[in-house]
Amino acid sequence: MRALIVDDEIHAREELEALLAETGAFTVVGKCANALEALQAIRRDKPEVLFLDIQMPMINGLELLGMIDEDIMPTVVFVTAYDQYALKAFEENALDYLLKPVEKERLAKTVQRLKRILKEGERPSPVQGIIPALTKIPCILSNRIKLISLSEVEYVKSDLAGIYVVTANGQYFTELTLRVLEDRTHFIRCHKQFLVNIDHVDEILIGENLQAQISTKSGHCVPVSRRHFKKLKDRLGL
Amino acid sequence: MTLLFSLIQTMSVFLVVAYLYCKSPGFKPLAIESPKLLDKVFLYFFFSAISMMGTYLGLPIQDALANTRAIGPVLAGIIGGPILGTAVGFTGGLHRYFFGGFTALSCGLSTTTEGLIGGLVHLLLVRNNKADHVFDPKVVFLTTIIAEAVQMGIILAVSRPYSEAFELVKVIALPMIATSSTGAALFMSIIRDQRNVYDKAAATFSTKALRIAERTLNILATGFGGETAPEMARIIHEETGVGAVAITDTQSVLAFVGHGSDHHLPGAPIASPLTRRAIAENTVIFADGVHERHVCPLSDSCPLTSVLVVPLTQDNDVIGAIKLYEPRQKRFLNMNKSLGEGIAALLSNQLLLSRYEQQKNLLVMAELKLIQAQVNPHFLFNSLNTIISIIRQDADRARELLIHLSNFFRKNLKRSGNLSTLEEELDHVNSYLKIEKARFEDRLTVEMDIDPSLLHIQLPTFTLQPLIENAIKHGVSNMLEQGKTLIRAYRKEGLAFIEIEDNAGAYEENGGTDGLGIKIVDRRIKFLMGNSFGTSITCVPNEYTRVTVKIPAGGVPEECAHSS
Repeated sequence: MRALIVDDEIHAREELEALLAETGAFTVVGKCANALEALQAIRRDKPEVLFLDIQMPMINGLELLGMIDEDIMPTVVFVTAYDQYALKAFEENALDYLLKPVEKERLAKTVQRLKRILKEGERPSPVQGIIPALTKIPCILSNRIKLISLSEVEYVKSDLAGIYVVTANGQYFTELTLRVLEDRTHFIRCHKQFLVNIDHVDEILIGENLQAQISTKSGHCVPVSRRHFKKLKDRLGL
Repeated sequence: MTLLFSLIQTMSVFLVVAYLYCKSPGFKPLAIESPKLLDKVFLYFFFSAISMMGTYLGLPIQDALANTRAIGPVLAGIIGGPILGTAVGFTGGLHRYFFGGFTALSCGLSTTTEGLIGGLVHLLLVRNNKADHVFDPKVVFLTTIIAEAVQMGIILAVSRPYSEAFELVKVIALPMIATSSTGAALFMSIIRDQRNVYDKAAATFSTKALRIAERTLNILATGFGGETAPEMARIIHEETGVGAVAITDTQSVLAFVGHGSDHHLPGAPIASPLTRRAIAENTVIFADGVHERHVCPLSDSCPLTSVLVVPLTQDNDVIGAIKLYEPRQKRFLNMNKSLGEGIAALLSNQLLLSRYEQQKNLLVMAELKLIQAQVNPHFLFNSLNTIISIIRQDADRARELLIHLSNFFRKNLKRSGNLSTLEEELDHVNSYLKIEKARFEDRLTVEMDIDPSLLHIQLPTFTLQPLIENAIKHGVSNMLEQGKTLIRAYRKEGLAFIEIEDNAGAYEENGGTDGLGIKIVDRRIKFLMGNSFGTSITCVPNEYTRVTVKIPAGGVPEECAHSS
């Protein structure tokens, strides 16, 4: 099984890697120290299993899950030292978790369970119940990560360079995909390459041939494609 | 010459009156600082009577009276002001007028004037902030000389025929001026002495009350009960000088000092029905030993016959009583009676206060226990996980970390609520940081800059730990970049400062919600060292959060150290 380890403490990653190696059931495709590294690695390496620590800087493990595209969502095994609220949620949703320090015997059970799941080809989707709603979008600045809250976002655009979140103050590069942002936020797809935050729409200009354009409150223009115009009208109750 | 002696004789009568007056309850209006209207009315009658007596005791000379009538109005004026002086003078003068003679009018007029002169002197003294000279015999002496001289002038000016008036003045002037002024001065000197006696009694009373207060306050701060009662009883006994002092709770005697201590034993149930009644009804009970006798229920040979029982209250509940006794042969002084009541009121107040302090202290202690108990399970399990991992690579380092971990927990468990030196605090923190450093490795750097001369100063235990834990929690463990923690201790402007800084600058972002640890640290420092000390926080978002602890240069002051 191709596994990815995500934990912000180096010795915790090393220990888990050693334990996984001992089982002989895993190929560790990568080790990540935070959610953003993990997001990139998941997209790049498409691991089958994610060993995920919960308490991590800036974006915790659960929030990370809310940022992963559904079609590459690995099977998740939570690894935590202590988190009584999360553990309760895992129990209720029948999710697998390991407690640090990890016991070999307990890990062996997880291995059995994972083998069964992967053989049966189950799509791992039971995480829905515990994933917190996406409220902030992690954006990468030159020297740090900025979390931009959804309410600030006017629209999101995709171009060759990547996905950009646009606010009244500027635009920021993000690792999240348009698909994730469309599915997990209230933003509306108005164009193949654009999502718009309906709260920031000032007016919609309708041109010839049903070519429309949205003007945002801070004066940005967002194109509306014919394909998405009807959906937009429905959403606005027009 | 005969006239002079006769006048001296008359004057002596006044002095006897003055003496008797001073010993009577009627003296009270003069003993108090600012007499009320009723007191002034009393003084008016008194001094008018003195003035008339001067006329009655006068010696007939050449169809006139050589007399000491002036003493009354002048004294009344000086003591009570121009209105009282004039009123007394007018009354005395009117009285003299009806005696007749060729000086009737002039004497009547001049007596009124003499009262007015006294009053003017009073005003003069008060206006110049020399009110204390009102009772000065020298002032009275001089005033009376002037007043009598003026009287002589009035006689010469008003009485006719002038030649007779002149002859009269020639004879009476000197003896009257001399005796009246001496008499008035002596009269005042008697009044002044008596006033001093009153003042002194009041001063003694206040001193005693204050001394008892001062000596018992500290004792009572530790609570009311079997441990503190004997010392309090001893102090009250010593200060009041009564025969015996007892302190009880609602059931039994807590302490007994003085006569009869052979059979009034601490620990015994309350035997006296008076005490039981005082406690049950929450009233002061006084048995003066004459009308109502205290009969000792324990021993026939008990010398104690008079008793004052004052209930002690806390939040309006009677929690005990203080008893003051005097033996048969000694009168129960009024002063000790009011003193006893005052002491009980004072102690009741103090009990309330000390309970409040205790509760405040308990609260802080409870919160402290809370932070200690809050040793974060997350930290514990992650540390163990880290060490387990390190065992694979470096057994010696793992061993060292386990020792730090046990040192950290031992100190968490052991040190509760007392004081520690900065060095001990740093040792505790150091074990913690060693482990955190192992968890985060290169992601965490710790810098320390400690003024070595501060290592020995005393701090409340657990001052540093919660602050550093916060710095780690909001700093490195929530940052993608390098986490830095700085610990500084330095002296500045005669004070000592300890700073803990992280480079996350996330304090405001978190809305200060997790400031509980900082708040408790702050409260304990203020509690022990005063409100001008404590913690303060500066935060520049995304740059740093700095918690500064301000304390006296010597740490916790010695006298506070025991009450922590």
